[in-house]
This record gives sequence, structure tokens and C-alpha cells, in this order.
Amino acid sequence: MRPPRLRMALRVWQRHARVFLKLWRHALPGPLIDPLLFLLALGFGLGSYVGDVQGGSYPEFLAPALCACAAMWAASFETTYVLFWRMHEGRVHDNVLTTPVEVEDIVLGELLWAGTRACLHGTSFLLVIAALGYVDSRFALLLPPFLFLGGLTFAGVGMAFTMFVRTMDSLAAFFTLVLNPMFLFGGVFYPTEMLPGWAQPIAWLAPTQHLVGIARALTSGAHVETIASDAVWLTVSTMLLAVVPLLVLRRRLVL
Amino acid sequence: MVIARSVCKAYNGRPIVDDLEFAVRPGESLGLLGPNGAGKSTTLKMTCGLTSIDRGSIAVFGDDVARMPRAVRARIGVVPQEENLDCDLTTRENLLVQARYHGLDRFAARARADELLASAHLGARGDEPPAQLSGGMRRRLLVARALVASPSLILLDEPTNGLDPQARQTVWSMLERLRARGVALLLTTHYMEEAARLCDRVLVMDRGRAIEQGAPSELLARHEQADLDGLFLHLTGAALDA
Repeated sequence: MRPPRLRMALRVWQRHARVFLKLWRHALPGPLIDPLLFLLALGFGLGSYVGDVQGGSYPEFLAPALCACAAMWAASFETTYVLFWRMHEGRVHDNVLTTPVEVEDIVLGELLWAGTRACLHGTSFLLVIAALGYVDSRFALLLPPFLFLGGLTFAGVGMAFTMFVRTMDSLAAFFTLVLNPMFLFGGVFYPTEMLPGWAQPIAWLAPTQHLVGIARALTSGAHVETIASDAVWLTVSTMLLAVVPLLVLRRRLVL
Repeated sequence: MVIARSVCKAYNGRPIVDDLEFAVRPGESLGLLGPNGAGKSTTLKMTCGLTSIDRGSIAVFGDDVARMPRAVRARIGVVPQEENLDCDLTTRENLLVQARYHGLDRFAARARADELLASAHLGARGDEPPAQLSGGMRRRLLVARALVASPSLILLDEPTNGLDPQARQTVWSMLERLRARGVALLLTTHYMEEAARLCDRVLVMDRGRAIEQGAPSELLARHEQADLDGLFLHLTGAALDA
């Protein structure tokens, strides 16, 4: 294993960005509708039965968390279905590897691109909730880089899974067994302190509650100092997760 | 230019390439000739560092491929057997992106892409996705893509496999123009006509071993055969398509 080189990784990133710029009109609105549906159905619908949560209305509690979820979904989709397609169907990487770009550069490029998509989707939804009046603090302007960071972490989770998957059908298991639990138990709909004591450490191990915590703090302006520990958590876990594709991708692409 | 010494490769204990030695001299065209499963493609993959070498070594431009794969790949072009053009990009963008992988800056990449499109006779098709090109055009695009870094050596894995005779001619004439410019070719083929037309020398492979090598005409004379098909049958006791 050689260390990845940023310059080479950026060329992989540029290829994806080029494709995205051609398709963004189709690629961006869809993923924004998902969190909006949750905000409408649960924030406003269910929210009318729920009292204040952490000192604000339920939609105020839910909206920034869905911003984090938009980033989570984007990075996860990019590093599962899209990455699997690039590896095995589109054979994009097979060609890249005949150039001076190496497997390690591809790993970094894919992570950075997934982080970028996460940041784009999360920030787009941030604009939506700002327009709806759910952003109370100028600290929210600092959120996009953290959406990128959280996106990297989710990309690490997705990539680690995709490395061991042989068929595209098996990727559905990722969404059922990994992503949905992180979404439902990661502090999006209720504070993780509501979980039973034994479940709280498990929730802590998922990136969701950390990115959700950052999104809540920065959009509300409350407890902003707590983002430091969450950001450290996301950074460290991204670095640990990235080791998996760095070790495995070569074997999956090169025989 | 390429020197392979006692190269061995096995998959799951089954030898694919067995004690293979060959050399490609500057400007020369060497054809690896043999039936499916002879180890030709594996040899090409080892030459560009895509597959590890179990024993022996391959040096390209004096650099050991196993130790310096990046340096080697920066200076060669690879045309794969399976078409792996980027179907999310246009024909021109396929070349642009490849040029960026090779480190050309934006302007140089654009100029190079246009130049290559013209030389592959695809100038009018630059804005179409590869899926809209004919089989022969896509193959020419694959060759053009391998040329972005102006390599002096190109590896080609079955460059005209599956093409109709007319499309095959257009790919051959493109490769002949490269040879005329002094670009060395290392190609695999199981078409005798292709070997006779494009190769200065052929290396006949069977079950991972080199069983004969030399200029096509020289081999025919040595074994008293009328054509390379007959020669192959004579050497291996098996037909090429077997």
C-alpha cells in the first residue's frame, strides 16, 4: 500500500465532477425531495402531536438533522451503487489504472467526490430549511465544510461495505442493515439520550449523531462548542474507515 | 524497450505464464500469438503492472514494472481487450479526462484531444457518446486514448477482436501509421492475418510458454509452412481457435 496522492486523486474527482455537471439538473432535485418529505410528514404532521424538543418546536429539531441526512444519503449512494457500477459495470477504474493514477489515488478521489456530493446535497437542503425559517444562527454558514467532513465519514462506511460485495443486489443489505438503522436511531427524530442505556454507545459508534449534532449546533447557535468533539470523532473515524478500501480495492480491481 | 526475464504467473496454483522471456526493441512490433488461455493477456497485464509477477521480472524503459509501475504507465499506452470507454462522457471528453490522468494541463489536454480525434478520423463525432459510435470507431477511440501521453510503446490486447473486416482494416491502418512514426507495439492476437500485417516478430505461446519466435516469414520458412495458421498447427498440434 502506497500513500494516496492528492494531485492524482483530484483527477479522479474531476472526472466525476465533469459527469455531475452534465447531469446535475436530474441528480440534485430528487435527493432534496426525500428530506423534504420527512420534514413535511414527520416535522409538521407528527410534530403537531409532539411538544417542544430541546427548547424548540419539533420541525426546528428535525430540520437541521435532515440536512445531515441529505449529506449521509448522498455519500452513501455514491459509495455503494455508483461506486459498484464504476468498479464492475462501467469499468471506469480499469482504465484509470492503465495511467499513472494508482489504486490509492482512486480511493482518495472517490472519498473526496462522495464528500463533495454530500456537501452539495446537505447545503442545498440547508438553503431549503433556511428559506422555511429553521435556521436561527449565522454559524450555519460554517456548516458546509462539516457536511463535507461527515460525507467523508459516510463515504468511508459505504466504501468499506462495497469492497466486500459481489453483486449489486447485495447492496440493498447496506441500506436495510446499516443506513436505515443509522437514520432511525442516530438522533435524527429524537435525542439519542431517549434510547435505552445499552443502545446509546452503539448509537455513538454511528457517524449520524455526530453530524446531526454539528448541524443542530450550527443552525441554532446553541452549544456550538460541542462540535469540536464531534468533528474530531468524524475525522478519526474517516481515517480509520479509509484503511479498508486502501487495503482491499487493489485486490478487487487488479488480479 | 521491454525486457521480460523468466516471468512466471499462476492463478490458484495453475500456471498461466511459465518461464516466459521476450524483448521488444525500440520501434519494433512484437505479436504474442496463441490460442485463448495461452497467457497472452496476462503477459500484457504484467507488462503494464496491472497484475503482479510471481517470479522473474519485466523491465520497461529500464524500469522494473513491479517496483515502479507509475513511472512505467506514465510512458506507455494500453488498449484493453474489453471496451472500457467512459459512457458518461462524450468521445472528446474520454480523451480529455485521459489526458488529465496523465497530468496534462487543461489547455494541453484540449489540444491533444482534438489532435487525436482528427488522427482517429473521429473529428466529427467528438460530441457524441461512445455508445453512438460504430464498433470500429470505438476501437479507434480506444487506440487514440492510449496515445494521449504520446507514448513510444503501446500495449494492445486483441486490438481487432470481434470487428468486421472493414472496421479491422481501419484499425490496422491506424496502427500502421503509428509504426511508421516509430511507436513500438506489443500486441496479442489470435488472427494470423493481423500478426502478418502488423508484427515484425511474433512469439508463439501455448499454455503459458513461448514455443517459437521470429519474424513471420522466417518462421514459415523454418517450419516449411505456407501460412501462420499452418505454422501454429504444426507447432502445437492444435488449431488456433481451439
